[in-house]
Amino acid sequence: MKALTFTLVAEPPERLDLSPLTPERLAGIERRDIEKIQIGMSKHGSKVGDIFRVAGNDPLDIVFEGGSTRLDRVAEGMRGGSVRVVGNAGAQAGRAMRGGTLTIEGNAGPHAGSGMRGGRLEITGNAGEHLGAPLAGELAGMNGGVLIVRGKAGAFAADRMRRGLIAVLKGSADNAGSRMIAGTLVVAGGTGEMPGYLMRRGSILLDRAPKSLSPSFVECGAPESVFAAVIDRHLIAEGILKRPLLGIAPQKYGGDNAVLGMGEVLFPR
Amino acid sequence: MLTKIAGGDIIDPVNGRVGKGDLWIRDDKIIAAPVGGAADRTIDAAGCIVMAGAIDIHSHIGGGNVNTARLLLPEQHAAHQERPVTTPLSNAGWSTFQTGCLYAKMGFTTVVEPAMSPGAALHTHLELADIPIIDKATLAILGNDDFLLSMIRDDASSQMIEDYVAWTVASTRALGVKVINAGAAAAFKENVRTFSLDDVVPSYGVSSRKIVKTLQAAVDSLGVPHPLHVHCNNLGSPGSADTAAATIAAAEGLPLHLAHLQFYGYGTEGKRKFSSAAARLAELVNATPEVTIDIGQVMFGQTVTVSSDVMRQFSARGSAQPKKSVIHDGDGNGGGIVPYSYGKDFYGAMQWAIGLELFLLIDDPWRVFFTTDHPNGAPFTAYPALFELLMSREARTEMIARLPKSAMALSTLAAIDREYTFEEIAVMTRASPAKLLGLTDRGHLGAGAIADIAVYRRDGNIAKMLGQAAYVFKDGDLVVQDGEITHYRWGKALRLNPSPDKAMVRRLEDYHQQRYGLSLDWFNFPDSAIAREQPFGEVACRT
Repeated sequence: MKALTFTLVAEPPERLDLSPLTPERLAGIERRDIEKIQIGMSKHGSKVGDIFRVAGNDPLDIVFEGGSTRLDRVAEGMRGGSVRVVGNAGAQAGRAMRGGTLTIEGNAGPHAGSGMRGGRLEITGNAGEHLGAPLAGELAGMNGGVLIVRGKAGAFAADRMRRGLIAVLKGSADNAGSRMIAGTLVVAGGTGEMPGYLMRRGSILLDRAPKSLSPSFVECGAPESVFAAVIDRHLIAEGILKRPLLGIAPQKYGGDNAVLGMGEVLFPR
Repeated sequence: MLTKIAGGDIIDPVNGRVGKGDLWIRDDKIIAAPVGGAADRTIDAAGCIVMAGAIDIHSHIGGGNVNTARLLLPEQHAAHQERPVTTPLSNAGWSTFQTGCLYAKMGFTTVVEPAMSPGAALHTHLELADIPIIDKATLAILGNDDFLLSMIRDDASSQMIEDYVAWTVASTRALGVKVINAGAAAAFKENVRTFSLDDVVPSYGVSSRKIVKTLQAAVDSLGVPHPLHVHCNNLGSPGSADTAAATIAAAEGLPLHLAHLQFYGYGTEGKRKFSSAAARLAELVNATPEVTIDIGQVMFGQTVTVSSDVMRQFSARGSAQPKKSVIHDGDGNGGGIVPYSYGKDFYGAMQWAIGLELFLLIDDPWRVFFTTDHPNGAPFTAYPALFELLMSREARTEMIARLPKSAMALSTLAAIDREYTFEEIAVMTRASPAKLLGLTDRGHLGAGAIADIAVYRRDGNIAKMLGQAAYVFKDGDLVVQDGEITHYRWGKALRLNPSPDKAMVRRLEDYHQQRYGLSLDWFNFPDSAIAREQPFGEVACRT
């Protein structure tokens, strides 16, 4: 079987909702029926066939050739298989995914990996704001799985994260890890203002001292840490980083004491 | 324009008209059959039943708390998009626009928002003015406000209290008065966490009973058509049937309306100490002719509870689902917004059964009102399903089979045979609400009534039949056809207009200056603040 490939013919005339094009939802559907699925979100009401040239037949291996910032909700709710976007993706890529792998070979828009519970999402370019974060009104953000951004991430990355691992390799904007409930956020390349703002629990691991921290964090010294050694090895073994991030005895800050105060911010001295 | 609704089964209990016939409308009024008149428009109602437009006396459709609920649950906005249809909360709330449309589709033409905080009157009326098609009305909340409690404490004359109530009703453009857990919100501010009918509000030395009785007397002697609308103490707690029984007894011959009685139908039997006391309450209501009640039926699913009973909402916030809530310990009543999901577990099943027992065991459809206390027991979109449960024993039996036996064992529901007839439905949802609210121009199909008419195509599926009206007329305008809105228009907010006493206005001006440093004008507004032609319709007080 050949990968089910959607080749973008031209820049779409409207925002597209690609959530129907996941391995689960395309299983057992004929190509000509796939072409009739409505994905346009405005009065145009574009169908798959209007936007993409469809080829291949393996719904467990989906490829979007050519990207656009208008491709929203790529692989939403995916449970298995693989989806690859060769180009940019729009908002909410990989939202609520539970398994499988999503690779975006370009930039992703806001809310990438929002509320994901499992699987692996890798973005080779930059991610927008609210990486892994909940939509308005939802109580928890990322809830499991692995999310890797090889470029930069926008503000509020890992907002209200509960479980899993997020790694941003070229720096994040302000308030990374804000309101974290638990889980692990790794940021190499520097952070903006106040990472961990209002975090309850969880770990934020940095490659350098943060620009600022909320005054309700307290310095906890730099004790030798087994955790630091374990996570350093894990990040290298997973192919996320090439060199150790924290070292043997990283500097530790505890907080945010404005809320529960059981979180930590670690960075090498 | 002359319209003829031809050949429908007319159900009009007020005028004793039941059976096949024609109904004539000239412009916005129902008229007697004209002699030799030719209709400009004829609606074929063969195979349909024809009733007056329905009236909902207790549905939280606008005002501060409703808006806070919208703000608390923004995920609903996404949930109401066409896709995805199965998002949680997809049935728990909506815009003002949809409120009007969804009500009209079911043949409802008048809806009362029963809990308007006087300080939020302008907001509430602005929001109601944004609800299309239907007429609206509000009840003003009193009974936890410092001004009233101070007057009662200081033994103010009944005349003064009436003047204050009249000013409140007039300035807030209300159709009646509601008291919510009388005194409890004031006591809550002093850290009291449970409050019953004979408990006393700290600092005021005034009991809850005294507040209810004072307001009941004032409402009655002012000639406000709707009796005092009482939200009793101890809502939702096991054993609250005792409180409801005491409140029913406290009516003492004067009219009194008890809201959402289902939430007080709880006894303390069984191993969970939570059982149905519906039979006991129904018997009391049957024996107390001056008391009217509405049910506040619980239906299964996600909803959000919206109440100015701040004490109750504060204690319920631990059971919030999803886990977030807003408690507002504000002036007067304050309030709370707690999302909740009624599951088919023991407690949910018990509540569901208690509401139905009350519906079926209270004999007089003129004194029991059809509500889910929207959105507290269920959103009003559950009405069609609820009609089906009332009109079909089979539908009840089917649901009972899916519920925990432990709950059904503590309820008499399974043994009740009664099925509501269309005539009883017409009384309960049309005739009696109009009578209770003092609206003589609606709730019936007699000549001279405004042409609020709902036509339903007969169908074995009652929920479908009553959920999607074949035709709905509002003030003679055809607004719904085959369950879809065909015409948009603006209704009015119905209000009383007692003239305020000048001395009371001066006193209130002083009070507001001293207490808030604000002019009384901040708490009043001109009709022109509501940017609609004729935003209000005036209803007369009893003389």
